[in-house]
Amino acid sequence: MFESILVANRGEIACRVMRTATAMGLRTITVFHHADRHAPHVALADLAVELHADVPTAAYLDVEQILAAARAHEAQCLHPGYGFLSENAAFAEAVEQAGIAFVGPQSDVIRLMGDKIHSREFAVKAGVPVAPSVTQSGSVKQFVEDAAQIGFPLLIKASAGGGGKGMSIVRNAAELPDAIRTATGEAERYFADGRVYAERYIDRPRHIEVQVVGDGKGEVRHLFERECSVQRRFQKIIEESPAPQLAPALRDEICAAAVNLAASANYRNAGTVEFILDPSGDFFFLEMNTRLQVEHPVTEMVCGVDLVEAQLRVAAGEGLPWAQADITQNGHAIECRICCEEPDNDFRPATGAAQILRLPETEGARFDGGIREGQIISAAFDSMVGKLICHGDDRNGAIDASLAALDELILLGVSNNIDYLGAILGHDAFREGVLHTGFITEHAEDLAPAEIDETDRAAILIAAALGVDDFRSLVFDTPEPYASIGGWRN
Amino acid sequence: MSGAFSFTLDGNEHAVSVSARQPELVLSVDGVEHQVSEAGALSEQCVLLTVDGRSYQVWRTWEADRMHIRIGGRSFSVGYEDAISAAQHQAGGDDVLLADMPGVVVNVQCEAGANISAGDTLMVIESMKMQINIVAPRDGSVELIHVSTNDTFDKGAELISLHAED
Amino acid sequence: MARIQSHIQTNSSEFRQYYAHNRKLVEEFRAKQDAARFQRPQKDLDRLAGHGKMMPRERIDKLLDPGTPFLEFSSLAANMAYDGDAPSAGCITGIGMVQGREVMLHANDSSIKGGAWYPLTVKKIVRCLDVAIENRLPVIHLCDSAGGFLPLQSELFPDKYMAGRMFRNQAMLSKMGVKQLALIFGHGTAGGAYIPALSDYSVIVRGTGAVFLGGPPLVKAATGEIVTADELGGADLHTQISGTCDYPASSEDEAIAIGREIVSQWEQPTKWSLQRDPIEAPYYDPDDLYGIIPDDIKRAFDMREVIARIVDGSRFHEYQPAYGTTLICGYANIWGFKIGILANNGVLFNDSALKGAHFIELCNQNNTPILFLQNITGYMVGREYEAKGISKDGAKMIMAQVGSHVPKFTVMCHGSFGAGNYGMCGRAYDGRMLFSWPNSQIGIMGGEQAAKTLTEVKLRQLERRGEAVDQANLDGVYDETLEAFKHQMSAYYATSEVWDDGMLDPVDTRNALGMSISASLNAPLDDKGYGIFRF
Repeated sequence: MFESILVANRGEIACRVMRTATAMGLRTITVFHHADRHAPHVALADLAVELHADVPTAAYLDVEQILAAARAHEAQCLHPGYGFLSENAAFAEAVEQAGIAFVGPQSDVIRLMGDKIHSREFAVKAGVPVAPSVTQSGSVKQFVEDAAQIGFPLLIKASAGGGGKGMSIVRNAAELPDAIRTATGEAERYFADGRVYAERYIDRPRHIEVQVVGDGKGEVRHLFERECSVQRRFQKIIEESPAPQLAPALRDEICAAAVNLAASANYRNAGTVEFILDPSGDFFFLEMNTRLQVEHPVTEMVCGVDLVEAQLRVAAGEGLPWAQADITQNGHAIECRICCEEPDNDFRPATGAAQILRLPETEGARFDGGIREGQIISAAFDSMVGKLICHGDDRNGAIDASLAALDELILLGVSNNIDYLGAILGHDAFREGVLHTGFITEHAEDLAPAEIDETDRAAILIAAALGVDDFRSLVFDTPEPYASIGGWRN
Repeated sequence: MSGAFSFTLDGNEHAVSVSARQPELVLSVDGVEHQVSEAGALSEQCVLLTVDGRSYQVWRTWEADRMHIRIGGRSFSVGYEDAISAAQHQAGGDDVLLADMPGVVVNVQCEAGANISAGDTLMVIESMKMQINIVAPRDGSVELIHVSTNDTFDKGAELISLHAED
Repeated sequence: MARIQSHIQTNSSEFRQYYAHNRKLVEEFRAKQDAARFQRPQKDLDRLAGHGKMMPRERIDKLLDPGTPFLEFSSLAANMAYDGDAPSAGCITGIGMVQGREVMLHANDSSIKGGAWYPLTVKKIVRCLDVAIENRLPVIHLCDSAGGFLPLQSELFPDKYMAGRMFRNQAMLSKMGVKQLALIFGHGTAGGAYIPALSDYSVIVRGTGAVFLGGPPLVKAATGEIVTADELGGADLHTQISGTCDYPASSEDEAIAIGREIVSQWEQPTKWSLQRDPIEAPYYDPDDLYGIIPDDIKRAFDMREVIARIVDGSRFHEYQPAYGTTLICGYANIWGFKIGILANNGVLFNDSALKGAHFIELCNQNNTPILFLQNITGYMVGREYEAKGISKDGAKMIMAQVGSHVPKFTVMCHGSFGAGNYGMCGRAYDGRMLFSWPNSQIGIMGGEQAAKTLTEVKLRQLERRGEAVDQANLDGVYDETLEAFKHQMSAYYATSEVWDDGMLDPVDTRNALGMSISASLNAPLDDKGYGIFRF
């Protein structure tokens, strides 16, 4: 096993990785930008190296500085977390070339899976079902014609994209040219790669993904599926495992497809194969994420494993830690992503200071956080500040535990989605497991904050007034007999 | 209303005032009276508040002139202005264009001193994958540009000041 | 302390008769007060609204802490003067609470002759500043006045207690370390300019506020310079150039908000520590007072019944209950404050006068403020009482009362005649506050008594000159005297002339006294000491 690790990330995932690394006896090194100097991952690491950049996110994308830090402090392996450089093939390559083990797949696999078009072709070859699609190869005019062939509605995507950027749904031919232009523009801006492609858009689809871990030599284990259908703005906010109301045969079929794909690529380390599940039961390969996912803890809870530990063991050449038969699903787990945003204002990101932070003490609740009380939440980074993962004997138990934990989770000082997550979990359709990626749009009205009634309003305003020093003084510091005489006039 | 404190909730102004302190505390909200008692702190930041016989756990914290309140298991954001600022705001509008969400400046399309017409795009900002034009609200001239390209800013940040109207 | 045992039968015909009578008096009082406060010619209201100005009471309500009382003084000042042209004497004065601090408010009412000062206006303002001095109360001036009412200048300008006294009092307050704030909502012209200039802090409203020694018309007449009020003495001139005012405000609301914030910077007063007990409402309903006070000034009633409806828990520790029984003396609490009470229960005899003098000394020894509840026809006359030295016994009571170092308060509950007024701390005796009930009467003697006396004098005169006695002439003297006395003895006349600090609905007495006692504790007690008692 390694003696030291550099975690090239920040926030909750950096903390998460270091927790396991520390438990395994590794010396932890991390990096940070000045804006994060008070962040928990800096405090948690045995050593934190400052990276310099004008824009904070650029620091965590600076390959040279990160490698220099790893070399200088003799990190034996490097964990990229998710986001930032985690799916950057060139980075993975550079890390390996520096003689440092990259805790992730081979760089060529990253490159392959990072390209929507090539990964799709690879899936077709591996016998994994893909949705009908067309890739832009020539002129926009030609692409418009090809795309229209598939039929509407269509989903237009950036070829190099992810995270919902450069994505749009087109419902008729007239909208198509504009949508392509917009997608191309955004793709260029975000990924420096303007290529886009179109695929059949499935109404009321479910997003099902399979966690896999490979040894890089063709051996692959799956850790069953996760349901990630509850999304806002194409980004997941609630994930769970197992997927509700998924027939066992279909589950097996999907997991087998994922293993097949990963094995075909000689996939090494942890990865996730994402599928779109049609209401009819058809499923199509979406993409493969060549890294640890945000939502990995639900799998950990249900399967009773530590995926980071598995990642480190694989990276250290110890091989896969489990036989497939060892892995079973036990109970149910739900993850809620805690984001600083305004759910009732189009989920716009919110900034401020996390002045009060109280973590839930409910049994079965796990909070993977990357913030501490008092921390400034700026627009510089992603709005997700933590994840609440709750386990139950069954799905209802997990929902109840999550609701209880959300109620106990207090994050005050910056707008956040805690109440909104509670509204989703409390919704009948969620309880029934009737999920699809349009869940939030479909139930937008139900999920909007309840109208504040007169009683609530009075209580809120009174609570607010009693929080104002001048008002308190007016209420409580008025001397007698003035206080008792009241508003008398003679 | 005399001596009322002004709060904003859900975009509406509300007035809270003291009606009576003894024998019970009575506060009025928009002219409607409510019996109130504070049972004291449950922890450093949490108090138990009773309004018209219903009890609530209340957590409060400030973010500039907004108070975040968690009460009865729900969180709300309430705006508060002290009496002097509130009176000043009532007296006249201001000439500063503010960011209504946090984001990054994509580009600046005006310069200090430039004459502008209502509707001119003065700046483009980006937030949450959306580019938003900051548009001149009226004819006039630019006094000061507070941010530059690639700057990040918080909600409510001053972006551009216009010369006050004569 | 034992509770007073009331003997009032609220279902008796006498109670109901008195109740109806006094309710009617209070309704008349309230109607007059309402008119004085709010009845204005429409053109004056329109003019103020046109300038975006609030009525002075609105300003006061916004300035005071919400849900706290305001003890207004002399709301019916000048109600029988100037043909009713100056209701409330054109100004509002009183004690209230701003940011938890007791303050004296002095507000001009520009809806009355532009807030001009009538002679009684000056008297009322001087009185309120006297109260501020005596009780060390910070003053907030709400300025909006055209200055002296020129047609009556001789009655308001030159003498010791006329307009100059206002500024003298302001300077004295400042010298004593008592703070003053001026909020300038309108014009402060001529004398009005000195009020902010003599204040420690001043806030002026841009656009409507202006301060100048001579207004635009006077300047034009004197020098030919043509200038607007704003140019001459507006907010910008005084806050940016002259330094006469401290804070500009864009609106009246802002001026009030700034004013409140200024007051919140002031140190909390240190009061002297009068014994205070938990507050207890009177056991007997103060509303009974209407049925206790007789409808005839000559009818006697037991003042213990009045005490029972003013003091905490209706509890009263009576001193010398069996001696000098026409003067009730004893201790009670009002709004928790320990107080000594002297209340008339008949004419003052030698023993009651001696008891009163002794009890006043006891209160001074114990640092207990004294409340005088007046219903007095005077000290007993006649050979027997002169022989017992009624004059020197009355003098002892006056000596003790004047020598008191504790605060004194007086309520005119019914009659206040002759030297009894003096012994019981009438207006001349520097009581901190003096209030009148609507039924009360005040005079050197009763009206009928005076008419009889003057008719008797006239008769003797005629007899001495040997002239024929014309009964019609004598009747004329009687009627004229009675009429004049009736007019001048009424509580309305007294309050019009600012002989008191205002008329009170009897049920409001407890609140008014509570605030008065509270205010009085701001001024440290003087040294003890008396003049010579004649034994």
